[in-house]
Amino acid sequence: MPPRFVVAVTGGKGGTGKSFVATNIAVLMSRHVELTLADLDVEAPNDHLLLGLQGLENEEPIAIFFPIIDYKKCTACGACAKVCDTGAIVMAKGTPPMVMPRLCSGCKACLYACPYKAIDPEGRRVVGYSYSTLVKRGGGFRLITGILREGEEHTPPAIVVAKQRALKETPSDAMLIVDTGAGTGNGISAAIQEAELVIAVTEPTPLGLHDLRAILEIARGMEKRIWMVINKAGIASHEKHLETAKEYGVEKVFLVPYDPEAAKIYARGTPVVEECPSCEASKALNEIAQSLLVEALEKGVRRK
Amino acid sequence: MTAPEIKPPVELVVASGKGGVGKSTLTAVLALTLAEKGYHMVAVDADAEAPNLHLVLGVTQWEKVDDVYEGRLAYILEDKCTRCNLCAEECAYGAVEIKDGKYVINPYICEGCLTCSLVCPPKAIRYKFRVKSGEIRVAKTGYGFTLVSSETMPGRPNSGKIVTEAKNKGKELLGPSGVLLVDAAAGIGCQVISSLTGAQLSILVAEPTLASLSDLKRIHKLTKHFGIAPMLVINKYDINQDVLPLIEEYAEKENIPIIGKIPYDPEVPKALATNKPITIYSPDSPAAKAAKKIAEYVADEVLPQWRTWWAKYRPKKPEPYVPVVLRPGQITSTRER
Ligand code: SF4
Ligand code: SF4
Ligand code: SF4
Ligand code: SF4
Repeated sequence: MPPRFVVAVTGGKGGTGKSFVATNIAVLMSRHVELTLADLDVEAPNDHLLLGLQGLENEEPIAIFFPIIDYKKCTACGACAKVCDTGAIVMAKGTPPMVMPRLCSGCKACLYACPYKAIDPEGRRVVGYSYSTLVKRGGGFRLITGILREGEEHTPPAIVVAKQRALKETPSDAMLIVDTGAGTGNGISAAIQEAELVIAVTEPTPLGLHDLRAILEIARGMEKRIWMVINKAGIASHEKHLETAKEYGVEKVFLVPYDPEAAKIYARGTPVVEECPSCEASKALNEIAQSLLVEALEKGVRRK
Repeated sequence: MTAPEIKPPVELVVASGKGGVGKSTLTAVLALTLAEKGYHMVAVDADAEAPNLHLVLGVTQWEKVDDVYEGRLAYILEDKCTRCNLCAEECAYGAVEIKDGKYVINPYICEGCLTCSLVCPPKAIRYKFRVKSGEIRVAKTGYGFTLVSSETMPGRPNSGKIVTEAKNKGKELLGPSGVLLVDAAAGIGCQVISSLTGAQLSILVAEPTLASLSDLKRIHKLTKHFGIAPMLVINKYDINQDVLPLIEEYAEKENIPIIGKIPYDPEVPKALATNKPITIYSPDSPAAKAAKKIAEYVADEVLPQWRTWWAKYRPKKPEPYVPVVLRPGQITSTRER
């Protein structure tokens, strides 16, 4: 059974404050309901740092399929190289195929294309690691973190595996908050796939607006409900952001004011809602968490 | 002023691992300064999923837009599907969804890898071909140099390939000499790897937060892998006195020269809001001055003798990429480092 309520925090542009919003909301909401936070920004996972964790626990390899060819069975027919979309299988004329590990996405097309069953279905390659750590902040919650190995480039399959762990480890009567990476590629779509509600975090600059549109395009295309958070509000006008919100049917818009005090606390790696509950940013984050809490309770997420 | 002719061209990549640390702001100042000093230069926005450099440079019109078509998108013929679930089990991207009891493929996730159609017993899966994956765009900026920008369609994969194409376009426009200035994406995935491939120099941008330090280490590991000589710029260096020394220590230990620090400055977002580089919008602001100084240093001290610089700071031994391949029965292995 999937979790009762899945929410994804995303935004398109990097550095708009996705992780800032996700971690603070998780701390606040965990005081009231059972929840898991999944850091699926596998290229730059930072939630554990923003939560001030000393280390990550319960490591598991993120192992995706990797073709190991049995050269005793291989006839060098070339069927595998023909279907491989990433160019990971190289074959010089008449010689058996060679697989370039970094290029391989683990899609298994070669496995199913090989007419001689020369490829081992159990071969795997570790492209990263996932962790499951108990966070003792707020009311306590579980943090699932996915980390891509440096040098690996196929992000979406790694995100999918880390996400599956988060779904598995979240009780069916709890809620799951997903924090995605920057960008608007299919890895982000994969991260928000199970979410009913997408929270798009943006900043009041033309840059933020540009990338916001791309992410709203995906969220709308995937038929998600959408909320928007304009972080660092006040540093420039966000009029156009509000217009865009309307255009995409955004249900709610929250403003988190730019707050130098909050920025300092962020840099140190503690959640601002705990360190400085009276800060302007904390008040705004509280408002978001309250609105989410109403939804969570309506859906029957287990109270603490 | 006449800048030295750089032949063959040099590739300089601005990267950060983490987004939002001021990469595009710095790249814009760098580009303007190099152009001012007479360098023959082309700028490439390699952040194909969130291209921003054209906004910072005030580009509103493209001279040329080339659509990039590639790949496939799978879809299921409902009347042929027996709902056996095999495609859903085997899709590494998790793109197969069950909606109202029907199997459908999410077009924002599917990579078109063919696996589902290979496993589907009744052959119920078809493909759309020549799906538009993005655009390569070219503009003459108001500052006398050319910008090549790339943009992927939302939810499409393969942004690495688009970045490579954008860089190739940039090289073609550059010709046999000059500087290719590349603004890389956030992260360490395929776009960033494509941005770094073939580069000699990189400017890494970090800010004094623990998150940024962590991302800096990851991007630096990649530049080491590609044998690139790194330089470090610390943006908003004054926002945290506790983390700043940690970044400086890391740079020192890893032989990364710190070529400048930029203070936190409220003028920066204001400049962004007007689509102007900070040195044009507010030339006397502390951030503009600091960024300008860094850009001049790169133009006057690094680029004219970039080979010497490269020899001095490139990794002595490129960090190898060692895949971790598990043979059947080895799945419980723990971390390799
Ligand atoms: S698993 Fe997919 S990407 Fe990897 S070699 Fe086989 S076909 Fe190519
Ligand atoms: S498809 Fe199978 S038999 Fe043919 S070249 Fe590939 S591994 Fe060898
Ligand atoms: S083509 Fe590949 S990515 Fe697309 S649905 Fe089929 S298996 Fe999944
Ligand atoms: S593998 Fe083919 S028949 Fe089976 S669920 Fe998928 S589309 Fe339907």
